[in-house]
Amino acid sequence: MLKLFEREQLDLEGLSPEQTAIEVRDLNLRFGQKHVLHDINMRIPKNRITALIGQSGCGKSTLIACFNRMNDLILNSQTSGEIVIEGRNINHKKENLSLLRSQVGMVFQRPNPFPMSIYDNVCYGLRLQGIKQRRQLDDAVERALHEAALWEEVKDRLFDSAMTLSGGQQQRLVIARALALKPSILLLDEPTSALDPLTTLFIEELMGELKKRCTIVIVTHNMQQAARVSDYTAFLHQGELVEYSDSDTLFTMPDKKQTEDYITGRYG
Amino acid sequence: MGKWSVRQFLSNRQQQSFVISLGAFCASLLLVALVCVLGLIALRGSDYFWPRPVHSLTYTDMSGAEHKVYGQVGMGKVSSQYSAGIERLWLIRYSDAAYPFGNQLILETPDIQHLAVAKEAADILLSDGTRVFAKPVSVDMPGQSAQPLTALEQARLQVDALQQDIEQIRTQYLAPIHRRLAELDIRDVDDDAPARERLSREFKEWQSKVLTLETQVAEFRLNVQFSDGLPFAIALNELDQLNYTGQLNVWGKLGVAANGVWAFLTESPKQANTAGGVFPALFGTVLMIFVMTILVTPFGVMAAIYLNEYAPDNSMTAIIRICVSNMAGVPSIVYGVFGLGFFVYMVGGQIDELFFSDRLPAPTMGTPGVFWAALTMAILTLPVVIVATEEGLRRVPDRLKAGSYALGATKLETIWHTILPIASPGIMTGVILAIARAAGEVAPLMLVGAVKFAPNLPFDGEFPYLHLDRQFMHLGVLIYDGAFHSQTDMRSASMMFASCLLLLLVVFVLNILAVILRKRLRQRYLRGY
Ligand SMILES: Nc1ncnc2c1ncn2[C@@H]1O[C@H](COP(=O)(O)OP(=O)(O)O)[C@@H](O)[C@H]1O
Ligand SMILES: [Mg+2]
Repeated sequence: MLKLFEREQLDLEGLSPEQTAIEVRDLNLRFGQKHVLHDINMRIPKNRITALIGQSGCGKSTLIACFNRMNDLILNSQTSGEIVIEGRNINHKKENLSLLRSQVGMVFQRPNPFPMSIYDNVCYGLRLQGIKQRRQLDDAVERALHEAALWEEVKDRLFDSAMTLSGGQQQRLVIARALALKPSILLLDEPTSALDPLTTLFIEELMGELKKRCTIVIVTHNMQQAARVSDYTAFLHQGELVEYSDSDTLFTMPDKKQTEDYITGRYG
Repeated sequence: MGKWSVRQFLSNRQQQSFVISLGAFCASLLLVALVCVLGLIALRGSDYFWPRPVHSLTYTDMSGAEHKVYGQVGMGKVSSQYSAGIERLWLIRYSDAAYPFGNQLILETPDIQHLAVAKEAADILLSDGTRVFAKPVSVDMPGQSAQPLTALEQARLQVDALQQDIEQIRTQYLAPIHRRLAELDIRDVDDDAPARERLSREFKEWQSKVLTLETQVAEFRLNVQFSDGLPFAIALNELDQLNYTGQLNVWGKLGVAANGVWAFLTESPKQANTAGGVFPALFGTVLMIFVMTILVTPFGVMAAIYLNEYAPDNSMTAIIRICVSNMAGVPSIVYGVFGLGFFVYMVGGQIDELFFSDRLPAPTMGTPGVFWAALTMAILTLPVVIVATEEGLRRVPDRLKAGSYALGATKLETIWHTILPIASPGIMTGVILAIARAAGEVAPLMLVGAVKFAPNLPFDGEFPYLHLDRQFMHLGVLIYDGAFHSQTDMRSASMMFASCLLLLLVVFVLNILAVILRKRLRQRYLRGY
């Protein structure tokens, strides 16, 4: 099989702690009586893009929401198992959620800028951390917007309402908002499903740039996208991690029958 | 299947046009009713300001004697109960030597010998709110009696200057000396102590100066004549306005009316709330609404936030919600009784015992006042604010909350920075409704602090400037009071309508302000969502 992209391959089983961004051990999650995630074990490598694929309802969103503990907001959710990020188990009850969420940024399916100016949107997280100095904020805003490839488009209208931006711009603004906190991990939950193909391509390129700075975990229902942008891919089925390997292998010669059925479109 | 169906009688089109015309009919009926109410109030309210020409009238009384008077003609037809068979009754307010400050007269048409506009006579408004209709003749000044009327302006200026002098002596000299004497009293200084003697001497000197000035002022007089030629003198310091209303054209009348409106807005009521202005009531109303808004908004918003964001989704919360919406239906007088019994007597009484025990048995907070009234109205309007705020909170999209949490915000930070701004138009809606409701209530206020006449405003130059423990006047109470005044007295009746008009305007202006604010908030926070 011909490889389109030359990628430096890491052995997922033998990742050293330094190479691991997120380590998931025996993760189980229930919403009330409903068992949504079953015994998930995986290591997500640093500065790589890892994609989560699977049928809708299989638990992809729930899984990445575990990485910044957004599931805590759902009343009857119960989590067990360990998730180790930066050497600590974030499922520990004493985990500082504000700190965790500034280290692990998250972008949602539909762009959700706050109804404030572009500038204030990017500053939101920084201001929560108590940063008030104008210079510091200005610099952070410019840097974050550069990193999200939005600076050139909005530099003259930083104080316009964020609601005046187009969908793609809004999504990049939301990425900039997360990047302003200098996260080490960025979680993207179907970030392009509400966008047109061209904008989607633009954001995919952006991800390639961003992985130099942080680890990216992306949920997508679009297998072409997963194959295009990700280094590693995990296939989930009904809350179980069926197969997890580098994307080239997974999409060309999957190990499991279920995976093959899914990527060849036999169901899903 | 029912036996009867609309379809048997009307086609689809007909049904539609039937519903539309029925709706339009109801809407226009409402509109007409509204216009009628507003029109009536506006018409009768503005009547209070519109100057009426002074007429000269000759009539015969029951004994057949003939009288000549100056007066104003009222609204024409009076109660039909007395007028069987008579096509018209004339309502006249007149002045003569027996009743210089006005009397009321009801005449039948045959009694009237002569009625014509008197250009020479003036409508003279005195500073106590009474009126004299008479022909100005001459002006008396100290040493110069019977000067021509051209001297009137100058004489009035002189009187003003003298009165300012008197006022200055009173505030700058007499009052401080009096205060120092009182201090000496407190320190039990001997009656013949030199300091005390010196002060009393000074006091007497200034007092005699005031006395001479006052006698000077009293020598300024306006001499007038009634229609039958009898003379009358009006002290110039009591003269407020003098208008030859018979001579005025429309612009002149407008000018007088504008003066009247200004006086209405800035002066105190006179003659037991039948004349003068309503400033204390206007001030009291706005102050009460203002304090109420300050009290009810945070409470209502916090309660709504608790119910919407924190309260567990169980039957207890449902019961609380039902209670809140039922609170809106409790008759307002019940709130008045609650305010009196709980806030004034219990809470106020406790405060008095704890903090103002030296002044007991005279109550300080344990008596009706602006603050208790505002608090009672806040309780009364609380459900409105809670319900509207909850509505606003529910409109905040979940993905915005999630976005805020994902940036590390705590629940409180998310509420403060994201949820509240977006819910603010809903909160404003609640505040608008609360203001509209509070401005219209009278009954509960009369139990907890609003009075027909308050000697002091709740605001003055004395520390702590804002006296929320004082009783206050309220436009609604003034209107209520006006309903007990003689409805045949044209002026006092129209004062009630004028107060009503003003109350409407106050509510209208407050509402407009709140609506503008809400629109701005909407544009700022809800655009695109
Ligand atoms: N708040 C919730 N309460 C109960 N069940 C939920 C909740 N959110 C998601 N689920 C269930 O969890 C499962 C996984 O959902 P999700 O992670 O959103 O799937 P997806 O892979 O499409 O992102 C689904 O079966 C869904 O019905
Ligand atoms: Mg999902």
